[in-house]
Amino acid sequence: MAASRAAIAALQGALAAEHAAVYGYGVVGAVLAGTAEADARADWTAHQVARDSLEAMLTRLGATPVAASPAYRLPFPVTSAKSAGQLAAALENGVTRAYLGLVAVSDPALRSFGALSMQTSANRATAWSGATVAFPGMPA
Amino acid sequence: MLAASPTTLPLFLALSACRGPAVLSAPPAVSPQTQTLLHAVTAELNLIWVYSKVIAAYSGLTPVLAPLRAEHEAHLGQLRARVTEPPGQRLPGTVTARPEVGATQAAALVQLRAAEQAAVKTQMSRLAGASPSLAQLYASIAASESTHVSVLNARIGG
Repeated sequence: MAASRAAIAALQGALAAEHAAVYGYGVVGAVLAGTAEADARADWTAHQVARDSLEAMLTRLGATPVAASPAYRLPFPVTSAKSAGQLAAALENGVTRAYLGLVAVSDPALRSFGALSMQTSANRATAWSGATVAFPGMPA
Repeated sequence: MLAASPTTLPLFLALSACRGPAVLSAPPAVSPQTQTLLHAVTAELNLIWVYSKVIAAYSGLTPVLAPLRAEHEAHLGQLRARVTEPPGQRLPGTVTARPEVGATQAAALVQLRAAEQAAVKTQMSRLAGASPSLAQLYASIAASESTHVSVLNARIGG
């Protein structure tokens, strides 16, 4: 069955968020050291894997995966371990919001995939921020 | 205007009888989606009840558990707000499961973790039959509950 236009758009949205996360974790990792740097590296790798997986899914569906931007504007300067952690949490929140879009498509498998991916990124956001939220991914 | 008379009264009664069953019939059927939503409301009530019992039994856990309970209360509010049909549908307000709280603080935390894990699984099972908007709410609540599992895991040390 051909994927709907909405499903492809949602997958592209998730891919764009993963591209941003891969870029952002490069910035995060650059100012961290020790365990935190190792955590950032692990998350960076996980986002690369997710990016590759989404690109493969889109290709299988006959779509051209969106490319990463050459650069991204950071939401705030990252000059310390604290701001690096805040950026990591912000990146994860962005990824969670993007996967929420997949949950709205009609394909049950994509819904489940989106919801599970939200859980992964919400947990990473909690690990970086030290706090939980009632509605990860939902507009405030 | 039709005035009641020995001849018109039977007709009036007959017409009333025709309308009668509509008034006396069972309430409008609840759609499967609303039924699921009502179950989700009850499940949140049950979770909040367990959290409250654990907090009452082990007050030292309040700093960890009260924020999680507050998030469940927010979930409950959003779920209740989505019950829009049939008009006049009564919202569940009763806890349906009152398990014994763990005999130790550690056991109570394990109990809460198990409840959160089960809740995540149940939310996931609700996705397929839900409207896009409700599916997103269930998914977001599931993500929140999965972070609760992590918080409880860290506290348990497992």
